[in-house]
Parts: sequence; C-alpha cells; structure tokens
Amino acid sequence: MLYLCEVSDVAEGAAKRIDLPERPPLAVFHLPTGLFVTDDTCTHGLASLSEGEIDDGVVECPWHQGAFDIATGKPCGAPCTIPLRTHRVVVSDGKVFLEE
Amino acid sequence: MHTIRLAGGPAFGCAEGDTILRAGLREGLGLSYECNVGSCGVCKFELVEGAVEDLRPDAPGLSERDRRKGRRLACQSRPAGDCVIAMRQDEAVRPPVRPQRRTAVLETVRRLTHDLSEFTFRADGPADFLPGQYALIQLPGLAAPRAYSMANTPNGDGVWQFIVRRVPNGVGTAALFAMAAGERASLDAPYGQAYLRPSPRDVVCVAGGSGLAPMLSIARAFAEGPADGRGLTLYYGARTARDVCGEAELAALPGFGTRIRFVPAVSDPEDAGFAGRRGFIHEVMADDLGRRFERCDVYCAGPPPMTMALEDLLVREAGLPADRLRFDRFF
Repeated sequence: MLYLCEVSDVAEGAAKRIDLPERPPLAVFHLPTGLFVTDDTCTHGLASLSEGEIDDGVVECPWHQGAFDIATGKPCGAPCTIPLRTHRVVVSDGKVFLEE
Repeated sequence: MHTIRLAGGPAFGCAEGDTILRAGLREGLGLSYECNVGSCGVCKFELVEGAVEDLRPDAPGLSERDRRKGRRLACQSRPAGDCVIAMRQDEAVRPPVRPQRRTAVLETVRRLTHDLSEFTFRADGPADFLPGQYALIQLPGLAAPRAYSMANTPNGDGVWQFIVRRVPNGVGTAALFAMAAGERASLDAPYGQAYLRPSPRDVVCVAGGSGLAPMLSIARAFAEGPADGRGLTLYYGARTARDVCGEAELAALPGFGTRIRFVPAVSDPEDAGFAGRRGFIHEVMADDLGRRFERCDVYCAGPPPMTMALEDLLVREAGLPADRLRFDRFF
C-alpha cells in the first residue's frame, strides 16, 4: 500500500492533488460516500481535476467543464470521452492509502 | 455590430449574424474550441449580461448539468445586443491565422472512390490556413454551415480543396454533391487546432473516410518541407477494399516510398478482395510502429470510434502526452 495523505487533509466536498515520484499525479476526493482516488489529469487536456468543481459525485474539469463520475471514472460531460483511471483506496487510522 | 466584453478581459466586435466564438477568433483572441458545430463542448461560457440566440438548443456539447448551471456554447450563440461573457482564454489556442469569410466558386469535382469526391473551390485572396485545419462552408438552402477540412496546402491562388464522403440521407453532403461548377458557397476559414506543428519528431497520420483530407494536407506540407531525416506514415482505415483511398495522392509527392509511407488497412473480415493489412487502423498502426510512436507526433481525423480508440490506445493506455496526439473532436 502506498501512503497518499491524511483523511483530514481533504475536507468533505473537496479534493487534493498528490504528486508521487515516477507516476502521474493523483487526485484524492472526499465525498459524503467516502474517499476516492483517480488520476488527476483530465483525459481531454492537461488540466488538474483536483482544482475542478465537485458536485453530486461528479468532478468538472476547470478548463472546459468536461465531467467525470468520481467513483467510476466514467465521462459524463463533453468534451471528455475517455474514462478517467480510478484507483483502489484504503483508509486506515485516519490515513489514505493506494492499494497496489 | 455588437460589442462582446470578456469579464476581466478585452472586448471585441461581433458582426450581425456572426457567432460569439467566430467573432472573437476573427479578432485573434485565444478562445477555446474545437468543432465549431455544437458537438465538442469546448467553447462553453456563461452569459453575465445581455441576451443571445441559441442556434442549436439540443447541441450535444452541453450536458444537462451544463444547462442547469447556465452554460452556453460560444459557437452556437448569436448575440442579440451587447453582451458580457465569462469565458476562459488560452494563449495556446490563439488562432495562428485569423478566420475570414469569403465567397467561393466551385470549380471542379473529382470522384476518388464510390463515395468520396474531391471538391475544388476558388475564392478571392490567398488560401491562408495551416495544414490540418478546416473551413465552415455555408451551402445554399442549409440552415447551418458544415465543417470540411482542407486537403491541399496553403496557396496564394485562393484554391481550397476538400474531400467529402457522400453520406446516405446526409443533408449537408447532398447539398454539396448537388452543386454544379460555377455555383457559389460562403467559405469561412481557417479553424481547428489539429494543424501541423514544427517538430523534430517523425509524423504519423491516421485517417478514416473523409478524414483523409486534413491528413493529406499535412502529408503534402511535410513533402514540401526539407528532407531532414524525418519520416511520415499515413495509416488509412477502410471498411472494405473499395473504400481505400489516398495512395495515388501520396504517390505524387516527392519522397513517397522513402520518407513518406502509406499503410492502408481493411477492417471488414468478409471482404476477400484486399491483399494488404487487416483490422482496425489503430491496431494496425500499433502493430506497425511498436514503441516508436513515443517518438512521433500523431495527427488523426476520421469517424469518432476511430479517434476515440486511438486516443484510448495512445494516451490512456500507453501514456503518450495528450498534446502529441492532435485531432479536432467533432463529437
């Protein structure tokens, strides 16, 4: 398992970008339904999704308001058509880990 | 003339009947867009003040959520007066050639395959565009313009060539195929981001159907450039053998067979009349290139499933930086 951040680092309804060496940046989302981790870079452009608006389980890219379902990575708003990669997350003792 | 002010930014004039997007691009502003016809969803904005007419209320580029949040498409918005809008500007998409409207006369139509034809128009002034870009052509009797990519290279003679596929029951292509030499259309160009960029890398073009046009333009411009050791391969995906197109055009270029290659493939397994490669063109390309795609600039135009498969393969699966695969999203 790979440590990402503390649960308390990400307020509910918000997201945080995590940069780890040798891999694309990740976004940790804190939704009412739990914590989710996806790739941070929009599949349409090079924008950072952790800076996007989060609304009803959906994140909107700050560039063109393309949208993804955070839990599944499914695109749900143009111009995004490629699914966002999602990652398995483990929360233990107030810490967020990536399950590898 | 209406004045459109970008909140916190410059103002520009929008002529009667023009859209907000095109008016801004004519002024050289970096307004994000790709398709110009309501599909891609890149040119979203919010109207802060004023009123606009929505030319395509069912445009697929806006989701229900976008509409609920009051977003609009600049390419489908015609101002009804002065407006203030909130829209993202991006230096990277500032138009290298400002689009202009011209009247064009159809000169010749040349049949390429059973359903692809090349249309040659001539307009006043130079044909000023970058290889890979498209024009919006307003045909007689149609409500909205259609986007067609140029197949030739920029020239001072005002010659604009397009390759169009006759689509069964397609209203736009029916109007174009019904045109006779000497008839006029309104041509608004150039548009599009998927144009040939200077680069030290090899070039890969992937085309299907009438997507051949912009890829031929890129190949022709590449051939006009210096023989600097770089190569260009054009992969053309066809359903059956009779759909294959482009070899004669490429074979006319200097460097064909050495620095310029043509690799067609046929996807229909039932079609026995083809001796070349089989399968979907993105798979054929991957098989042919191996990992060499990492050192290439990839340009692509064709049916949405082809483009999406290619994007999925190169960007999502193989990790090619998104700006190394260029295409305009008409979906």
